[in-house]
Amino acid sequence: MVKILVDNKHIEAEDGANLLQTCLDNDIYIPNLCYLNDGQIPFAGCRLCYVQINGKPVASCTQKVAEGLEVQTDTPEVRSLQKAAFRLLLSVHDIKCKECPANKRCELQRIGKFLKVGLKVKGLEVRLKDPGLDSGHPYLLIDQNRCVLCGKCVRVCQKKHGHSYLTFAKRGFETVISAYRQPEESPLNFSECTACIDICPVRALLLKDV
Amino acid sequence: MSQGKIKTIDEKFGAIFAEAQRRKNEREAKPVPKIHIGLATCGIAAGAMETKASFEESLAQRGIDAQIHPVGCIGHCYAEPWVIIENTEMGFPPIFYPKVTAGKAKMLTKLYLEEGDPRLEHILGAMEENEMIPTVWEFSRFSEEKRIVMNLCGKIDPDDIYEYIAEEGYVSWAKALKGTPEELLNLVKDSGLRGRGGAGFPTGTKWEIAAKHDSSKKIVICNADEGDPGAYMDRTILESNPHQVLEGLALSAYAIGADTAFIYVRSEYPLAVKTIQKAISQAEEAGLIGKDILGSGFDLEIKIFQGSGAFVCGEETALILSMEGFRGMPYPRPPYPAETGLQGVPTVINNVKTLALVPPIVKNGVSWFRQIGTENSPGTAIFSVVGNVTHPGLVEIPMGISLRSLIFKICGGIPDKKKFKAAQIGGPSGGCLPEEFLDIPIDFDSLIEAGAMIGSGGMVVLDEDTCMVDVSRYFLDFTQKESCGKCTFCRIGTWHLLSILQRLTIGEGKEGDLEKLEQLSRDIKEGSLCGLGKTAPNPVLTSLKYFREEYEAHIKEGRCPAASCRPLTAFYIDLDKCARGCDACVGCCPVDAVFTTSNRKKGIDQDLCIKCGECKVHCPPDYNAIFKISPPHLAPVIERPKEEKETS
Amino acid sequence: MDDVVLTSEDKAALEELRSQLDRYEKSTANLIPILQMIQEKVKFLPPAAIKMVAGFLEIPSSQVYGVATFYNQFKFNPPGKNPIKVCLGTACHVRAGDIILENFERKLGIREGETTEDREFSIDRVACVGCCALAPVAIMGKTVHGHMAPSKVEGLVMRVQIEREKAERERQKNESGQN
Repeated sequence: MVKILVDNKHIEAEDGANLLQTCLDNDIYIPNLCYLNDGQIPFAGCRLCYVQINGKPVASCTQKVAEGLEVQTDTPEVRSLQKAAFRLLLSVHDIKCKECPANKRCELQRIGKFLKVGLKVKGLEVRLKDPGLDSGHPYLLIDQNRCVLCGKCVRVCQKKHGHSYLTFAKRGFETVISAYRQPEESPLNFSECTACIDICPVRALLLKDV
Repeated sequence: MSQGKIKTIDEKFGAIFAEAQRRKNEREAKPVPKIHIGLATCGIAAGAMETKASFEESLAQRGIDAQIHPVGCIGHCYAEPWVIIENTEMGFPPIFYPKVTAGKAKMLTKLYLEEGDPRLEHILGAMEENEMIPTVWEFSRFSEEKRIVMNLCGKIDPDDIYEYIAEEGYVSWAKALKGTPEELLNLVKDSGLRGRGGAGFPTGTKWEIAAKHDSSKKIVICNADEGDPGAYMDRTILESNPHQVLEGLALSAYAIGADTAFIYVRSEYPLAVKTIQKAISQAEEAGLIGKDILGSGFDLEIKIFQGSGAFVCGEETALILSMEGFRGMPYPRPPYPAETGLQGVPTVINNVKTLALVPPIVKNGVSWFRQIGTENSPGTAIFSVVGNVTHPGLVEIPMGISLRSLIFKICGGIPDKKKFKAAQIGGPSGGCLPEEFLDIPIDFDSLIEAGAMIGSGGMVVLDEDTCMVDVSRYFLDFTQKESCGKCTFCRIGTWHLLSILQRLTIGEGKEGDLEKLEQLSRDIKEGSLCGLGKTAPNPVLTSLKYFREEYEAHIKEGRCPAASCRPLTAFYIDLDKCARGCDACVGCCPVDAVFTTSNRKKGIDQDLCIKCGECKVHCPPDYNAIFKISPPHLAPVIERPKEEKETS
Repeated sequence: MDDVVLTSEDKAALEELRSQLDRYEKSTANLIPILQMIQEKVKFLPPAAIKMVAGFLEIPSSQVYGVATFYNQFKFNPPGKNPIKVCLGTACHVRAGDIILENFERKLGIREGETTEDREFSIDRVACVGCCALAPVAIMGKTVHGHMAPSKVEGLVMRVQIEREKAERERQKNESGQN
C-alpha cells in the first residue's frame, strides 16, 4: 500500500492502482464517461477525467498511483479542460432531456451539474447526425445523436462474449457505434444479455419493441 | 564473439563483396554509352517509362549498343524525367539532362550517341569535373546538399542488391555482427541520433528500453506509413535504395535482440512495396538476412505489412493495432511499445530515414556523424520542398543551415518574381513561419521553438498569392478527415475548427471567431489523447500568430488579401487593355461566363463565373487584361449585351 | 450498403476469392491483408465479402465492418471503369487542385467518392502522388495528367466518351455485319 494526497485528503491505495478508480472508491468524484474498471488499458477517449499533477493536467484514468503522488482535482486548468470537452460533447448531442429515457439518470446531466455548465451550449455550432437513429438491427435501436462514443458497449460485449457484436464504424467526426446488419450470427436475443444497453451512460442504445 | 565466428563472417561477406565488385567492374568496363534513367514513382508519373521506351526503340533503330540503367529518384523533381548519359568513349563526361521527353530521347540518341553532339542547350550540367562542360556542382541545388541517406538514390539500380553492396552496402551489417549488440547500441546512443519520424526522440534510448527487456521475443518495425499530404521522401528512399533501409532495420534488430522485423508500408505505394519485396528476397538469397546470418548465429526474418491508409497509424500505438487487425485508434502510453508492443512483445518502431542513417553511422563512426549538423541535432534532415519554389524536390541538408539557404540558395527561391510569404514546415502537424524566421537554423529544437516542427519533413513554400487562412483550412481539412474519432477534443474539436475556418474563407466570419479558434486550438492541443490531435491545431495557431491581419480582413472586410479565396474574389476584364477580336478567354472558360460586349471586347458574367482563373492564364501577355480583385463588389460591372441573352 | 447491386463479374470474383482464403491462417492479424486482397480484385467490399471474411475468421461481421470502414483504402461502392483521382496533396492544393476536382464533379454530375450511374466514371481525391513539380495533377485510369487546367477536364472526359461511342459503333457494325 502507498499513500497519496488528493485535494489535501490522505488516501491509501495499492501501488500501481488506477488513479481515477482510487479517487472514485474514496468518494472523490471526477467526471468521466468512458472509464471501465476492467483491468484493461484504459480507453482514455472522453477526456473528462483530468486532474492536476505537478502543475500539469493529466487524464486520471491513465495515471497509476505511486507513493507520495499529489493530485488536485479542482484547479482552473482542470476545470477549463473538462468544461471544454463537455461542451464539445454537447455540441453534437441531441438535447431533448424531457423526451429522453435517460432523463435524471444521465451521466451528461450529472457532469453538467457538477461542472455547473448548462446543457444548452453557447458559442458552438450544434451539428447532429442525419439520420440520427440507426434502426438497422432487428432488436437494437442506436441513437447516434445521443451516443457519446465512450465505447463501453463495445468493450462490455467483447468481455462477455469474447468478440464484440457492436463496433465503432467509420472514422473521425463520422464515427458511430454500429451493430452492422447480420442478425443471424448474433447471439443477442436480448432476453439473455443486455449488457450493452445496461452500461450505456446516456441510454443511446435501446431495445426495440418487438 | 569467437575468433572463429569473426573469420567466418569475414569470409562469407568477403565473397559477396568480391562478387559485387566483379559485377560492377564488368559493367563499367563495357565500352558502350550508359543511360541512367530515374524510374521511381515520380519519374514514371512524369513520363520516364515513355522516355525509356523511346531510347530503346531509337537505339535499336540506329543499331547503337548502349546500356540502359534503371535507377531510383535523385530528388530533383523539377527535372523529371531526367537521364544521365555516360558517353566516355566519345570523350565526354557524364551529363545530366533534365525533362527528357520521348521526343528528346530520340533526338539525343541520334545527335549525341550517333553523331557525337551532346546538345549543350539541353543539359543541366556535367556530373564530373571536366574541361568542356560546366558541372552541376556549380548549382547550390547540388553542391549545398549533404547526402547520407539519399547518397545512392538515383545512382544505383534498386532492384539489384549487388549494386548496393558494391558501394559498401551491408559492410556495416557485417561489421556489427562481428561485435556485440551492446557495442552497437552504445554506438548509436553515442552518435546522438534522433528519430526522423517527427518528434526527434533519441533513437539509442528507445532501443535501450527494448534491449534491456528480458523478453525472449522482440520485434522491430520500420515505419514507412508516410501520410503527410506533401511529403514523399520515405517512398523515394524505399524505391531508390531499399537495401540501406533493410540494413538499418537489421542493425536495429541486432542491437535489441529481435528476430522478427516488419516494414509497415502504405499499400498506396505499390512500387515501393514491390521494390522492398524484391530487396528482401535478394538479401535472403545472399544470406544477409534469414537463419544464421553470415555464420554469426543471428537469425532475422523481415516481413512486409501493407498499411491501408490512415494517417493516424503513424502513431506507434495505432500502427500496432492495425497490424493486429483492428481499427487504428491510439491508446494511452504507458505501456510503451518498447516494453509491450506488437503481440505483447517489446517492439521498437523507427522511421525509414532514421534506419537509413544507421549504416553510415556504423561504417564511419560517431565522431564523423557528430561533425555533421548541430550538437543537439546531429546528422542531416530531408525535406520535400514543394509549392511556389523554383526547384522543388527532395533535399538532404545538414541540420543547422538556415531556412533562407534551403529555400533561396538551394531551391532557387520563388518563381515569377513573386514575394516570399511563408514556409509551412512539418505538414499537418507543423506551422507556418513568415519571413522574419528565414534565418533560424533548421534543427529539431529551433523549429519547435518557432512554432513549427521538422515532423515528416514536408515543406511548402508559399508566395504572396497564397491565403494563409486557406492554408490553415487545407491542413485542418486533412487532419479532421484523418482523426480516428476516439477522443473528444480531436473528433469534435477539429470539426469546429474546420467549420469556423470554412466560414472565414467564404466571407461568413463573425466577430469573436478568432478568439474561438485560439481557445479551441489550445484546448485540442492540451486535451487530445495522441500526437495527431495534440499537433493538429499548429497550422492554425502559427498562422494566427503571424498573419492575424489576414484573418481579420476576411472577417471585417470580406476581403481576402491574397485574392485567393474564391467567394471573396472576382475576376474582371480591363476594357482599356482588352483587344478586340481576341477570343482566348471566351474559348477557355469552362462555364461560358465570358461574353463579347457590343464593341467586341469581353466581359465576365459574375453570376456564372466559377473563378477558376483559366481566362487570366489564357489572356495573351501582350494584353494582360484580366485582373483579380477582393472583395468582389469592387470589380467593375460590364453588362452582358441584351441581344445575346435573348439568343442564348 | 445493402443496395449495392453485384454484377455477375463481381459475383464470380468473390467466388474465386473464397477458395483463396485458405491460404491465410485464421488469425485477426490477417484481417487487413485479406480485405486488401478483396479490394484489389473486386475493387470494393460488398456486404457479401464482409460476411465471407467474418465467417472465415470466425469473428462477427460487425468487427470486419468496423475495421474496413476505418481505413481509406477500402471502398464500399463499385468504382467507375475510368476512375479519376485528383491529387490534393499540398503542392497541388497551392496550385488550385480543388478547382480541378470541382470541374470533374461538375462535368460528371457526381461528387468525390461517387460513381456515375453508368459505372463509367468515379472521382476520388488522393493525397500526394509525388509529382509535385507537375501540380496540379489528376490521374485517370493509370495515366498521370500533369499541369491540369479546368479546360483540360472537359477534353479528358470527352476523349473517353468518344472512344466509348466509337467502340459502340464498331460493335454495332460488327453485329449487323454478322447478321
